Formats: sequence, C-alpha cells, structure tokens
Amino acid sequence: MSDYFVSLLIRIGIEAFVALSAYLLLLMGRMSFGQQGFFVIGAYAAGLATALYGMPLLPGVALGALVAALGGALFAGPMAAPRGLAFAAGSLAFGELVRVALLDLYFQGQVGPDLIGPAGPDGFRGIRALFTSGVSVTTYAVGIWLALGVTLLATAFFLRSRWGEALRMIGEDEEAAATVGLPVRRVKVSALAGAGGLAGLGGGLFAHYATYVEPGHADVMLGVHSLAYAFIGGLGTPLGPIIGVALDIGFLESFRFLAGYRMIIFGGLVMGLLIVRPRGLLDEVAVHRLSRFLMRGRR
Amino acid sequence: MLEVQDVVTSYGMIQALKGVSLAARTGEVTCILGPNGAGKTTLLYTIAGILRPRSGSVRFEGRELAGVPADQVVRRGISLVPENRLVFAHMTVRENLLAGAYARLGRDGGGVKVDLEAMLERFPILRQRAGQAAGTLSGGEQQMLAVARALMARPRLLMMDEPSLGLAPMIVEQIFEIVAALNREGITVLLVEQNARLALSIAHHAYLLEQGRIAFRGTPSEVSANEAISRAYLGIKRG
Amino acid sequence: MVDFLQALVDGVMLGATYSLLGLGFTLIFGVLRRLNLAFGPTILVGIYAGSHLSLAWPGALVPVVAVTVAGALLAGVYVERFSFRALARQAPVVSMISTFAVWMQLQELVSLLSPSRTMPYPSPVWLPAVAVGPILLRSDGLLMWSGATLIMLALFALLYRTRFGTTIRAVADSSEAATLMGVNVAMVGAAAFLVASAVGGLAGVLIAQSHQQVTPYFGLWATVKGMTAMLLGGAGSLPGAVVGGLALGVVETQTLWHFGGQWRDLVSYALLFLVVALSPRTRWGSGL
Ligand SMILES: Nc1ncnc2c1ncn2[C@@H]1O[C@H](COP(=O)(O)OP(=O)(O)O)[C@@H](O)[C@H]1O
Ligand SMILES: [Mg+2]
Repeated sequence: MSDYFVSLLIRIGIEAFVALSAYLLLLMGRMSFGQQGFFVIGAYAAGLATALYGMPLLPGVALGALVAALGGALFAGPMAAPRGLAFAAGSLAFGELVRVALLDLYFQGQVGPDLIGPAGPDGFRGIRALFTSGVSVTTYAVGIWLALGVTLLATAFFLRSRWGEALRMIGEDEEAAATVGLPVRRVKVSALAGAGGLAGLGGGLFAHYATYVEPGHADVMLGVHSLAYAFIGGLGTPLGPIIGVALDIGFLESFRFLAGYRMIIFGGLVMGLLIVRPRGLLDEVAVHRLSRFLMRGRR
Repeated sequence: MLEVQDVVTSYGMIQALKGVSLAARTGEVTCILGPNGAGKTTLLYTIAGILRPRSGSVRFEGRELAGVPADQVVRRGISLVPENRLVFAHMTVRENLLAGAYARLGRDGGGVKVDLEAMLERFPILRQRAGQAAGTLSGGEQQMLAVARALMARPRLLMMDEPSLGLAPMIVEQIFEIVAALNREGITVLLVEQNARLALSIAHHAYLLEQGRIAFRGTPSEVSANEAISRAYLGIKRG
Repeated sequence: MVDFLQALVDGVMLGATYSLLGLGFTLIFGVLRRLNLAFGPTILVGIYAGSHLSLAWPGALVPVVAVTVAGALLAGVYVERFSFRALARQAPVVSMISTFAVWMQLQELVSLLSPSRTMPYPSPVWLPAVAVGPILLRSDGLLMWSGATLIMLALFALLYRTRFGTTIRAVADSSEAATLMGVNVAMVGAAAFLVASAVGGLAGVLIAQSHQQVTPYFGLWATVKGMTAMLLGGAGSLPGAVVGGLALGVVETQTLWHFGGQWRDLVSYALLFLVVALSPRTRWGSGL
C-alpha cells in the first residue's frame, strides 16, 4: 500500500469516529456543532497520558476517550434539556469555548531533554508514542479500522436495543417518550457521554498519528463537517456517516486534479444530493430495501 | 354554492378523507359534526387550498377549486377561521385586521378602511384593544378577532373550525349569536363543531363525518331524531 | 472609570454592526424558521467583490459599496434558490446542512478568484477622530455606529410602517394564518431573504472598512457573531437582535480592555453558553 493511500485510510477512519458521534446525537434529534470540542479533549488527554505520563499507546488512547466521555456527561448537565436551535447554539459555544480555552492552556513537564505538554497557541507537540512503540503506520491504519469496525458493530447493537429505541423516540417526540415512562434523562446523558467518547477516541487516534494537536484542531468546521457527513451518508444506518466521510476525503481527494475546486464540487454534490435525497444516500427506505435484498441473497 | 365531490385527502400514506361529498347552500349555515380525528379540519384545509386532494372535486360558485393554491382561494371569496384561532400574536389587533384584508389592500384601500371601522363597531372589545398585541387578548377576544379578521376579506363563504374550543359557555353563546347574525346578513357559513347542540340550533343542514367518511346527513331535526347520533353527540342518556 | 466608558463606547460602536448581522439572521430565521449558516459567507462574497473593484478603481467609494451589496444579494439569491426554495418541503435541518454546503462553495470561490488570502478594503481614513472629553471616538467606529443605526432605522421603518413589512411580520408570526389571509408565503420568504442579504451586505461594508481588510474566514466570523447576537436576543425577536448585538459588542470590548485579547472570545462564548444553559426551555426553532 502506498503511503498516500494509508494516510487517506487513517484520515477517513479518524473522521468517521467524529461523524459517528454527530450521527448518534442526530438520532436523538440534536444537531451538535460542538463535537470538535470532544475531539480535542480526547486528543489532549490521550497525549498527556502517553507523552507526559508515559502510558502505553492503547491505554492512553482509551483514557483519552474516557475523559472525553466524562466531558460529555458533564456537558449533559446543562445541555440535556435544550433542543433545536438552543442545543445547536449551546454546542457551538461549547466547542469554541474549548478551542479558546486551549489557547491559554500551558501544562508542560520535563520528559528527558524536552519540555512536553500543551503550550497555548503553539499546541501540544511531541506525542510520539506511536513511533516509539515501533508500530508501523500501516499497522496503525489497520488498527484504526478494526476499532472502527468494532465500534460500528457495538453502535448497531446498541441502536437495536431498547436503549436505541428510546433514543430514536426522544428524537421523534420527547414528551411522548417521557409519557410512556422511558428514562429520558438517563438516555440523553448516556448518549451525550457516548458521543463525546466516540469523538474523543478519534481525537486520541489523531494526536498519535500527527504527533501533535493544537487549539486550531477544534475548528467549528470539523463539527459542521461531521454533521454533514452523517447527513450525506444517510440517517438510516451507522454506516451512513462513514460513507459520507469516505465520499468526501476518499473519493474527492483521490482526484487530485480537482484539488483547487474540491470544496466547490463537494459542496455542489451535497447541495444536489439533499434536493434529490433529503435524508441522505442510505435513508431508512434504502436500508430497508437493501437488507431485504441481502436476506434474499442468503437464502 | 359549494359542492364537494368524492374528495380524498392523504397525509403521506394515511388517508384522512376517504371520498367525502357534501354541499353548502347559498345563504345557509351548514354544520359538520364529528369526533376528534374524523377529518373535519382536513376537509376545511382541503377546501381552503392548504391541502391538495388526491382525487375528487371542490366546486365553488360553479368553478373548480381543487388544486387552486390557498392564497388564491381567499380571493375567490372563501375565508377560514382556523382551529385554535391562529391570531398574529406579536402584531396589534388593528394590524391583524388589516392583514385579514391582505388580498384587497392593493385594489380597495378605501373599502378596507370602511370595513375596519365597521369591524371595530361590531366588536367593541376590539376597538378597546386595537393597539394591543393580539397575543395579550383572552381566548374569547382572540376568537372575535379571528372572526373579524376573516370577515375583512369580505368572504361570501365563511368557514369556521371549532370556534367554541376552549371557551367559557357564555362566550361560546356570544360567538354563535354572531355567526347567526352574519348568516342573516347573507354570508353562507360552513361550521365545524363538536358542540353539536349549539351548532344544530343555528344550522339549516348538518353532516356527520366519521373516520373520513360522511356517516349521516340531514336537517337538524333529523339529526336529533336519530337515536344513535343524538346519544353519541348530543349527550342524551340511554333510555 | 474612563477606561470603562471608553470600552463601553467602543463596544456600542462595534455592537451596532453585530446587531445588523443579528437582524439579518433573525429576518431569515423568523420568516422561514430555518437557519442560514451561509449568511456570513454571502456577505464575504460581497466584500470580496467590493475589494476587487477598489483595487481596479481606487478611490471609488460609492461603487464599492454598491458592488459589495450587489455581491451579497447575488450570493443570497443563490442560497435562497438551492438551500431554501428547493428544500421548502423538507425538514428545516436539511436546509441548514445545505447552507453549509453552499458556505464551502462560496468560501472556496472567493479564495480561488483572489490573488491573495488577505484582501484590502477601502476605508474613508481621512475622516477625523472625535474627542468627547477623555473619550476618543475613532472615525471607523463612528462610521460603524452611525451607518448601522441609519440602516436599522430604515429597516424598522420598512418592517413596522409599510404593508410589505407587516406581511413579513405576519408570516413570521404564523405562516399558516398568513396563507389563509391570501399571502403567498413562498414569495414573502424570498423577499425577506433578499432584504436580509442586503442588510448583511451593508453590515459587511461597515465592518470591512473598519478592519480595512478581509480574509476568507470572515464568513465563519460573521455567521458566529450574527447567530450569537440573534440568540442572545431570544431568537426571532427583531428588537432582541439589536440588543443582543449591542450586548455582545460591549461584553467583547470590556473584556478586551480589562482582561486582554485572549479573554475576549472566551467571555462571549461563555455568555452564549450560559444563555442556553439557563433558559433550556426556550422553544428556539424547536422543529429542528
Ligand atoms: N399533519 C398531519 N400529518 C399526519 N396526519 C395527520 C395530520 N393532521 C391530521 N392527521 C390525521 O388525519 C386525521 C384527521 O385529522 P383532523 O382533520 O385534524 O381531524 P379533526 O379536525 O376532525 O379532529 C387524524 O387521524 C389525524 O391523526
Ligand atoms: Mg380539527
């Protein structure tokens, strides 16, 4: 595999986690413009764990995701109740707060000859656990996709469970969900925590691949892109967001001659797609047909 | 004046009207009774052009109305006082009334002024509240405003969707007196109501709509004479 | 005390332009019940068009203003056509995602067509600053404030004193009832969109002359400022948007003066977050 191809795979895999987290919240009827906040929380936390405190790669990344999930649970304190535009605005403010706060976060320690840790606007450099551990980039890419596969299966499983049922019902009609006795608040808090964890997992994986993170990685654009990915791919299946990412990064990026016009073309594609298929490529009807077709194939 | 023929209206896959036919005769009050969810609002919205029928025809004064967009239906002489009134809450009472005459404002500015004065005359409470935001009015006052607003378009057919909803009995009687008076002045009325007793007292004709179909039609006395219907809708206790 | 007053005055002058951005957002959101994320980027198109003209024809202030507004209007028509009218039957969130797609297009378009990322924008620099006691009123700030105030007065006259304005407010109040009165709601929506784009273009002129330059990030910046002003004002209220913009401007300049530049954005985002957290029941665009 060429280096370029591997790097594409890694980028798609990482973005897919953030897109998946936006997708989860969309099912709950919440548009988040703030998942990039959890992405960098996960990245910084995982980076601190490995680079500053010497944790091995895997536990470090897992810890990053956990911290981001915890952040999501705390975020749910004030943000479980708002919906619609209020939630969108609150999540946007949150994402930007994280970015701006990181501009002022200095927390460096001596590791060997170097000062390591977040250094305000200069970001957090020297997160080298991936390379010191001797894992090749190709192996890392495979690992990311394995993790993504497991996450997808787990998400699909959860979405089929009673929890997923409740999540969708809250998305449809929160009052009705409360009236039939669903533990609405618990479901919302767990979904926000889960979404935070997913984005944070992407962040930890990213930090170790890039060897650094900076406040700029919490750009609103990441959050808005993730939301758009979930929509392009389709709301019918957790595969949807990943297809959205793959379409943007994989498909368009590989046509290099489009380089200068990529945003214009991608933007036009999304715009046209929404007119033709307002619930994305793999909407509920498409998923239903597809799964019937596959079942028939199996017989 | 108005003839509805075999109208079918759907929300997506759900058929709310399954072939409804009825007529409202010039100068009469025609009343439509029926339980919640029967399709009464859907029927009025179909006539008003907000919903498009899947099939069937709606003729008004001899011209086809099905498929005519809502903003044009008003100009043909039909006004609807919607369920829950839908006054413009953030606008003043006077602005609400002027909005009611929207379709005439360009052509007949003088007439609108005269009508505005006439409405404030007929509904003195609205004159008192003319500069006030409509959202601050009581339910009964809002219903008066909704009726006055609809009249500002000078309709020949006035449709009303459950005007008594959520109002105190005394106010309801007042509203019905107004409807009866309007009818005596020559306005044809198509009235949807759940308060069957009161509606029948001013109606010339009545229809019973159940689950998207006309289940019964007749004069008020025929309706009252039908034992099953009066038991269900007039609240007469079993024997 | 003088610092406080100076920051207050600066804040009001800056905030007046935020109010304009907030009013543009509110007009579109109020009438169409949909969020136009591409509002900032439509203004961006106008400013870049004006900047190009000023490079080709130095000193031509009035044509630059006209071209800026025209550019914003043109971009606004594009957004209205493809992200709103074409999606009128879909859920509001679909429009919002679509405006994001248009945003990316517009941002790339201006970058592609410009020789450098940072483009200059003309400013009537010869205007003198005015000193009122110890308070200094800079000319660009005065221009922002007086320009924005005039535009707001004109806009409010349009909305509250004309039949067209009453119709816009009626649709914003209840589009269902407005339809029943014979209003063509789709057409009013498009008209409100154009008014908002023109107001945005004018706000762009005032802000760009103060910055004297513009980068493609202006789109994001203007969208965030406008949305914040609208939300601080309660989302959907026109006077609220004015107050929200002024409040945002004052909070920004006060923080800047007393705590330094790095706190400025932190405090304004914290303010927005608090507003949401403290009033979660607000039915802002609850349709999603
Ligand atoms: N917007 C809608 N979408 C889907 N179904 C609807 C909608 N409005 C009404 N219905 C359904 O259509 C039927 C008739 O409703 P409606 O006309 O409001 O009844 P009524 O006014 O007699 O109470 C009901 O079963 C209702 O659930
Ligand atoms: Mg009804």
